[in-house]
Amino acid sequence: MDSVTTLTACPSVPSTVWAVPRSRAALDTFFRGFGFTTEADLSALAAWVLDGYGAQGAQPPAAVALARARMETWFASVLGMEHAGPGLLARGRAAFVLCDGANRGARLLTRASAPEDFVKAARAAVPVPAPAQVSAVMPEQQLVLWPFGELLRRWWRGVSPDVSISR
Amino acid sequence: MEAHSFSPESAAFRRVGVLGLAAVTTLVGTLEMHRLLSAHGTSVPEVVLVGLFALCFGWIALSFWTAIAGFLQLALGPRLPGLRYPTPDEEGQPLASRTSVVMPIHNEDPASVFANVQATYESVAATGHLDAFDFYVLSDSTRAEAWVAEELAWSELCRRVGGQGRIFYRRRTDNTGKKAGNLGDFCERWGRRYDFTVVLDADSLMDGRTLVKMARLMELNPRAGILQAPPLNVGRTTLFARLQQFAGRVYGPVVAAGAAAWQLGESNYWGHNAIIRTEAFINHCGLPVLPGKQPFGGHILSHDFVEAALMRRAGYTVWLVPELGGSYEQPPPNLLAYAQRDRRWCQGNLQHLSLVMAGGLHPFSRGHFLMGVMSYVASPLWLLFLVSGLVAALHDRFFLDAHALESPVLAFDAPGALRLFAVSMGMLFAPKVLGLMLALFKRGEAARMGGRVKLVLSVLVESVLASLLAPVMMLFQSHFVFGTLLGYRVNWSSQQREDADLPWSEAARRHAVHMAVGVGMLAVAALVSPALVAWLLPVAVGLLLAVPLTVLTARSSLGMWAARRGLFLLPEETEPPEVVERAQAITEEHAVEPVPDAIERVLGDAKMHALHLALLESQPGLAEHTSPAALESARRKLLGGGAEPLSAQEKVAALLDVGTLSEAREQRLTRALS
Repeated sequence: MDSVTTLTACPSVPSTVWAVPRSRAALDTFFRGFGFTTEADLSALAAWVLDGYGAQGAQPPAAVALARARMETWFASVLGMEHAGPGLLARGRAAFVLCDGANRGARLLTRASAPEDFVKAARAAVPVPAPAQVSAVMPEQQLVLWPFGELLRRWWRGVSPDVSISR
Repeated sequence: MEAHSFSPESAAFRRVGVLGLAAVTTLVGTLEMHRLLSAHGTSVPEVVLVGLFALCFGWIALSFWTAIAGFLQLALGPRLPGLRYPTPDEEGQPLASRTSVVMPIHNEDPASVFANVQATYESVAATGHLDAFDFYVLSDSTRAEAWVAEELAWSELCRRVGGQGRIFYRRRTDNTGKKAGNLGDFCERWGRRYDFTVVLDADSLMDGRTLVKMARLMELNPRAGILQAPPLNVGRTTLFARLQQFAGRVYGPVVAAGAAAWQLGESNYWGHNAIIRTEAFINHCGLPVLPGKQPFGGHILSHDFVEAALMRRAGYTVWLVPELGGSYEQPPPNLLAYAQRDRRWCQGNLQHLSLVMAGGLHPFSRGHFLMGVMSYVASPLWLLFLVSGLVAALHDRFFLDAHALESPVLAFDAPGALRLFAVSMGMLFAPKVLGLMLALFKRGEAARMGGRVKLVLSVLVESVLASLLAPVMMLFQSHFVFGTLLGYRVNWSSQQREDADLPWSEAARRHAVHMAVGVGMLAVAALVSPALVAWLLPVAVGLLLAVPLTVLTARSSLGMWAARRGLFLLPEETEPPEVVERAQAITEEHAVEPVPDAIERVLGDAKMHALHLALLESQPGLAEHTSPAALESARRKLLGGGAEPLSAQEKVAALLDVGTLSEAREQRLTRALS
């Protein structure tokens, strides 16, 4: 038999979900990365991902891809447009873990909308290592170290000033 | 833009006063020295001696007259002419500019770094001007453990103060150009977002009111390129550090006010605790890489002097503003750490010799380069002066007719020599006496430094200990100068900032040569005359006692013992400024968890793993400089299931690769499940 029956404790998802065991294991690993550890939470989250997409028979890579998509959608709604863009999943996961989101159980993800206090905490916890760059060039300054010698050298060799080995 | 003067009308008077009097004093002193030495005619060693004396005495004379100028400036009114200061109305207005506060770090203790950032941040918030400031910790750390600990500390700091989006942590894997390169990288990426940039050091701490004042002064003085707030040493407990802190607090203001009083808008920049006009800095202060090899070629090591010179060359002024206050840093905890720092600074300052004649610089910028060089070269000059003196004495003793020496006409003018010695000592100690006088007569100051008696006693003890330590520093610095000139390479590792006791064995190893020099000096002097031994005793005693002095002054217990008895107390200790107190409290309350193994921490801790990966993905391009071989080897060790430890390079390579970290963590979780 290639599928198992998993009992979930989460009222917002079906109580039984069929999943390919390797896919389920991959999903468990994925959600453990968010801090979920209990079997009840993990099975509820597997159901949330696979049921939502009607993909109970999905193979591990597809199942994880679905989970990523599901989480990205969730983070986009929770964190808002301010944090949209590449790396949303990584930054969202960091905010989720730093706010101990997993302690609130799988229901935090599966319910229609996240509680306001969590949304506020998660938005404040999104790591922003730097703001958007405004590129500028810091031109290397010309310093003629010995102007009199330089004058002589240029007169003798007819070359342009050379003040830096990085040029 | 051509360099031109922005100096006030009194500038010429101030400069002629200090530089002219220093020149006259040097001339008079040198003539007197020549008179004393030429009693028996003038030998070659004596000519050298007079030349060396002129240089050393000139250096003392300049410090002396600068201290006099500082004393007068502080006594008559501390505000410098030439800057426009805000009116009370303007002080109440919101800032119209944006300022970044940047702290470049390199393998530092994250607990103290982030405590200082938090205290400064909170202090700015308390002024109500937080919206005008952003904070950046610019990490150049090369150790994987330091890097992960910084990420953790930054995240914790942001959580505590709600600082995400205002306190940033930028990691650089390629630390080209060291601190100057780090700052340059910041300017090229984010500099244009800000009107001004406050540059801090890893141990800097600044009062929010000072930062607001600095930003406002920059707004009001559009031609000001850099304002330097002289930092005050605070926060250390070892006896050596407490001596530094005390000296800096009592004598430092006189010296800083004196330099500011005559240098005015052509002052210098010390590399930290200063505000710079960002656009001018970007456009005019990109450092060249000097032709030739180290010590004079390559990347500019002491960037601050050069940046100040370039800023001034571009037509912007550079001000030292002692009245700003609220600017703090920490001194090295012991003599060896102090010497280690000096070794770096020495090479950096000597490199400036090649810039003294560079085209287009303001004469004062050339003067700053020379003064920076002289602050280290003075030591070997004094050493050569001593050696020349000994050689001259030996010459007279063994090569002159003994009967001639007994002639009253040719007799050495001992009272004259004592007089010149007394004048030299008086000029050396003048900044201490002037600083003490200001502290004694400033209302409430002495009371906050343990009372008048304790204050005077502290100055006396500090002077004795500083005099004993000076010969050792003279030999250290002489070694650094000669070593640098002979191609000694400086290792720019981070400084020791902890108050740890020094082992006797290390002190003995470091000072063995110094003690031998002391013994040798006394032995040679004894060959000449007992009187010469007495003359050299102040130098020799310091060298002979180098080991116990270094070990004992490195002890926190002795520093605290002195503090309990009211010695070397600072007003900032008896009535600590809020920002200093807060920084200490944060360091104690929020100890940063040690990271013994960076990889283990990132793979084993869900929070750290998520945070680290988020930071990696938010800063694309970080892994550009990863060595493929190191990453391959790290992957083999991490994913191969063996227990082989990773090298430092492999750790960094793995920590830069999202794929490797994700795979390794998944593997670990799967293994845990099964």
